[in-house]
Amino acid sequence: MSFEELEHTADVRIRIRAESYEELFTLASDALFGILYSGDCRPILEKTIQVTGENREELLWEFLSELLFISEVEFFVVCETRVRFTGNGLEATIRGEIFDQERHGGGREVKGISYSGLFIRKTDTMICSEIIFDI
Amino acid sequence: MVNMMLNGIQQAGVHEWEVPVGYVPDMRVSGRLFLSETLGKTLEEGAARQLANVATLPGIIGHSFGMPDIHWGYGFPIGGVAAFSESEGIISPGGVGFDINCGVRLITTPLTLHDLDDRHTIIDKLYKKIPTGVGSKGTLRFQGSKLDELLSRGSSYVIGEGLGLPDDALLCEENGCMKEAKPELVSEKARTRGIPQCGTLGSGNHFLELQVVSSIQDQKTAQAFGITEGTICCMIHCGSRGLGHQVCTDHIRTMEKVSQKYGIRLPDRQLACAPLTSREGQDYFGAMAAAANYAWANRQIITHELRLLFEGAFGIDYKEMPLVYDVAHNIAKWEMHTVSGEEQRVCVHRKGATRAFGPGRKELPQKYRETGQPVMIPGSMGTASYLLAGTETAMQKTFGSTCHGAGRVSSRKAARNALSGNEVAADLKQKGIIVMAPSGDAIAEEAPSMYKPSDEVVRVVRETGISRVIATLMPLGVIKG
Repeated sequence: MSFEELEHTADVRIRIRAESYEELFTLASDALFGILYSGDCRPILEKTIQVTGENREELLWEFLSELLFISEVEFFVVCETRVRFTGNGLEATIRGEIFDQERHGGGREVKGISYSGLFIRKTDTMICSEIIFDI
Repeated sequence: MVNMMLNGIQQAGVHEWEVPVGYVPDMRVSGRLFLSETLGKTLEEGAARQLANVATLPGIIGHSFGMPDIHWGYGFPIGGVAAFSESEGIISPGGVGFDINCGVRLITTPLTLHDLDDRHTIIDKLYKKIPTGVGSKGTLRFQGSKLDELLSRGSSYVIGEGLGLPDDALLCEENGCMKEAKPELVSEKARTRGIPQCGTLGSGNHFLELQVVSSIQDQKTAQAFGITEGTICCMIHCGSRGLGHQVCTDHIRTMEKVSQKYGIRLPDRQLACAPLTSREGQDYFGAMAAAANYAWANRQIITHELRLLFEGAFGIDYKEMPLVYDVAHNIAKWEMHTVSGEEQRVCVHRKGATRAFGPGRKELPQKYRETGQPVMIPGSMGTASYLLAGTETAMQKTFGSTCHGAGRVSSRKAARNALSGNEVAADLKQKGIIVMAPSGDAIAEEAPSMYKPSDEVVRVVRETGISRVIATLMPLGVIKG
C-alpha cells in the first residue's frame, strides 16, 4: 500500500497503510530513509539485523531506532528491506550502499523515533500506523 | 477580554496569560504564558494543552511556563520551562528534548562590513570547512578514555587539547561543563554515534551565521559584552548530535516503564518521567549531563575551526575573536531559586528556552555580574537576531528564563509545498544574504515565513521585563545542514 506525510509543526509525521505487518515494517523503513537521504540508491550491500520487542509497537520502534543507528554509524543508505517475524522479534535483510554526498546528500537528519508518537492499528481491511520522526 | 486567546485562558497582565488549574484535569499549579496579541493568534491548542499537562507532574513549583516562542513539542511544549522540587519532583527526557544542550554561542571579531565585501567567498570557505548535514563527519576523533574525558569535562577538555582560548569555558553557561555528568551511563550506541560527529553542525534548524551588529540598544551593557556597532560576529547554533539523540532514545523507553512504578499518573505518555530521587531519574540526569558536555565541546570545536579560518582569511589573530557567551536551549539543571521567600534547590527543565540570569548571580562570570548574563536569540534565516541580557524580573517571574528563538508556525511539509529553496535563497541573496545548504528543501523548510517573527518574540520578553535588549544583529551569510 503506501505511506504519506501528515502535518506536524516541528517534526515529520508519517501515516502508513499496509496489508501485512511485513509490508508495514518495510514501508516504515522506506519512510525513514526517504527522510534521511535523497537521490537513487543501489542495492549493492546486504546486512541482516535482529531486534526484539514486547509488542508490535515496541518492535517497530526498536526496528526503526536500529536502522537509524546503523545508517548513522555505518553511513549505510538502505533501499530494500525484507522483514521476517520470529517469536517476539524480527529479522530484517536490508540492502543498499554506502552514503555518497553527491548522490544521497541533502536529506534531513532524524534525531530519534518518537516512542509515544507511534501507534499501530489493525482494521478488517488494513494495518495502519503513525510514526513521528524527531527532526 | 480580547477574543484572541484560546477558550479558558485568561489575561493576567501585559502579555501574560494564565492557564488556570482545571484547564486539564489534575493540574497542581497553573500555567503562565507570555504572549502578545499577535503571538496569541499563533498559539496551537496542542501546545497550550502540553503546557497544562506539565502542570500535573509531581513536585512542580510556581507555574508551568510558556515563552513567547511556544509551539507543539514532544510531551513538553517547545518554549516550556518548569521547575521541580528536589524531594518531590521529577525529571523527564521529554522536558529536555532529543537534542540535549542544543544551544547558541556568539563570537565577536574586529572585522567590519568592509572586510566582507566578498561575502560569497568566506561563506563558501566556511561551508567547506565546517561539516554540515546528514552523513557529515568531523575531522577530530575523541574515542575511549578521551571521549570519557570530553563527556566529563566538556568545553574545558577540548580547550586543554588546544582547541580554544583559556577564557572560552568560563564564557559558557555552567562554565561549559555539568559536573553531574556520568560518562559510564552513556551507552555504547550513543558513543558510537557521537565519535564521528564531534565538530559537526547537523541539519534542521542548526546553522553557523555571520552577522553584523546593526544597532545597539544599551551602550553600557554592549560594552561589557564586548559588542561594537558595525562589527562582524558569528553565531553558532547546534547541539549534542547523535550522542545526545541516543541518550534521549535510551532513557525515554526506561522512563515509559517506570513512571507507573513510582505511582506517577501521566495525562500523556510523552511526559514519561521518574522522581529526581530515583535511580532511573538520576541515571538519566548523569547521562544527560554528559551529553550536555559533549554539546559544549562540539560548539567549541566549531569555534576553533572558525577562528583558524578567519586567521588565514583576514590576517586577524585567534585571540581577537573572543566568545561573548554560550547558552543551552534544551536542558535540565539544578539551580538555586527563591521560592516563597526561601532559597531552594530546584531542577529547572528548559526546553526551547534559555537561562536568563539577572545581575548578581554567582554562576555568572565576573564581567557579567553587574549586567546580567548575555542571551542570544537567533532570528529565523534572513531575519534579525538579538543580543539580550537577563534580569532580576526573570529571576522572580520565570526561574531566570526567557525565549530561545522565533519558534515555528508552519510544518516542514507545508514549507516544502509552498516554497522553492532556490527562490528563498535568491530572495535572500537580493537582500545581501548568502545561504549555503546541501539541498533546496533544507532552505525552504527554514524560510523566515515558516517562523514566528523574532522581533515580536523579543518585544514580548522586553516588555514583560524578563530580558533587556542590548543589540540587534543582521545576517550576512549562513551555512546550514
